[in-house]
Amino acid sequence: MSDKSSNKILLTIENLQGGYGDVQILNGVSIKVPEKSIVTIVGPNGAGKSTILKSIYGIAKVTAGSVTINKDGNIRNVLTSKPHNLSKIGIGYVPQIENIFPALSIEENLEVGYVDYANRKMEDLKSEMFQRYPDLANRAKSRAGTLSGGQRQMLAMARALMSAPDVLLLDEPSAGLAPALVDELFDELVKINQSGVTILMVEQNARRALDISDYGYVLDMGRNRHEGDGRKLADDPEIVGIYLGRK
Amino acid sequence: MTDLIQYLFNGLVAGSIFAIAAVGISLVYSVLRLVNFAAGDFLTLGAFITYYFSVTLELNFVLSILISMLAGMGISWFLELVLWRKLRRNKAGTLALFLVATGVALMLRPVIQYLFGTQVRKFNVDILKTYDFFGARIAHTQLIVLIFATASIITIALFMAKARIGKDMRAYANNPSLAAVSGINVDRVVVATWLISGALGSLAGVFQGLVQGQFNNAMGESLLLSFFAAVVLGTIGDAYGALLGGLLLGLFMELSQLGIFFGGVPSNYKPVVAFAALVLVLLFKPEGIFGYRARKV
Repeated sequence: MSDKSSNKILLTIENLQGGYGDVQILNGVSIKVPEKSIVTIVGPNGAGKSTILKSIYGIAKVTAGSVTINKDGNIRNVLTSKPHNLSKIGIGYVPQIENIFPALSIEENLEVGYVDYANRKMEDLKSEMFQRYPDLANRAKSRAGTLSGGQRQMLAMARALMSAPDVLLLDEPSAGLAPALVDELFDELVKINQSGVTILMVEQNARRALDISDYGYVLDMGRNRHEGDGRKLADDPEIVGIYLGRK
Repeated sequence: MTDLIQYLFNGLVAGSIFAIAAVGISLVYSVLRLVNFAAGDFLTLGAFITYYFSVTLELNFVLSILISMLAGMGISWFLELVLWRKLRRNKAGTLALFLVATGVALMLRPVIQYLFGTQVRKFNVDILKTYDFFGARIAHTQLIVLIFATASIITIALFMAKARIGKDMRAYANNPSLAAVSGINVDRVVVATWLISGALGSLAGVFQGLVQGQFNNAMGESLLLSFFAAVVLGTIGDAYGALLGGLLLGLFMELSQLGIFFGGVPSNYKPVVAFAALVLVLLFKPEGIFGYRARKV
């Protein structure tokens, strides 16, 4: 894995605080995502991992801090953008659950993921996705609700990629997948990353996720606890013992 | 045989109008989780506005229909801006929205009555002209309505299937939380839904007024429950389902008058037939005739 820490910082989360209603979950989280890298946030349940992504989309309430993205040299404020405009500034998001439109056909799922300011033609992106995921291509006209769990996760990512994002935010992409599919998923994430898409993911399956990550953050009680090179974090006995669990 | 053709034809005409009204109600429900009890009165309003422009002001009939569709869109949009949007921001639930919609209906009725009176009205078209079709009597107005209603249904179906905003509407209806985080402009989807619902309400009202030959200020409300039956029949919130549910319900209500159904159900019991059909479907296929269940993963 080449060192990407010297790449320019694409997404910057600075001292983010917030939560749901009066319940504060995030007590000051700071994360830097270099361009073309894979960055993973791990930590125990309730550490606030998913809340970070949800606060970017206005689902969780932000009380302090900032999130900015470097879009073609311009620093844009992410938190003041309306959710539907986030794809305009290069952010794609795959929620953990209910991340497809089951009543729409597979092809339509991709089409509604497309945004006309993506700088790419819809047909090109669509055929790219179908090439990448032949399982989806074979059943393009079937309802997405007929797909298996693994195929759904692929469709969810393909849908997000249809907006040609600079950075893809993934909320626990391996959750609920059978072990064999988990390997397939992480291989896929590496391929997506190699095609030039930056990835910021939140994962329960910490060891596997950190293994493919350039950089990792360990969160606890809504605060940064540790950070460092993905592999090194995954192998650090102290961190493994306290936060990642034995394998 | 002649009876069968007659009722089949009448059923197609009634069904195509039901389909247009039901798809508007279904879209509003699926996008906004709003049971629009005022939908019937939008039909009445559409018929009266068309009457006002075409008969009172003697404007061209088609132009008058277009004006009434625009008026339906305008009123729906206005209500979205001053009412529904604020209620949604205040997190009003489905029951609260339903009660407000009923309130809107109750307010629209006296307004319509005040503006247009309670007299029976007729469009300025020849309602007596009929054609003979294998012994069945087919009214000229029925034929016109059938042709234009069918064209409208095809247009709506194509719009939902092909247009970007139609796909966005179905996506939002299917999974609103995902739609909101995936580049779909939710406010645009909502406004589009109201505009379509308003236009279709007026159109269905004109068609219904034409087929009945005459109408008064109670036309829409008397049909409302049958429309809801069509919506549920075709799976709640499924636009295509509402189109087919409306068509089938119209056919079924007319065909129930045939002798083979308990010696023929009297025509004033049509709404009963609609609800009998609804109960049967809910008993045996609760997700609606066109419903499907997503695979559990």
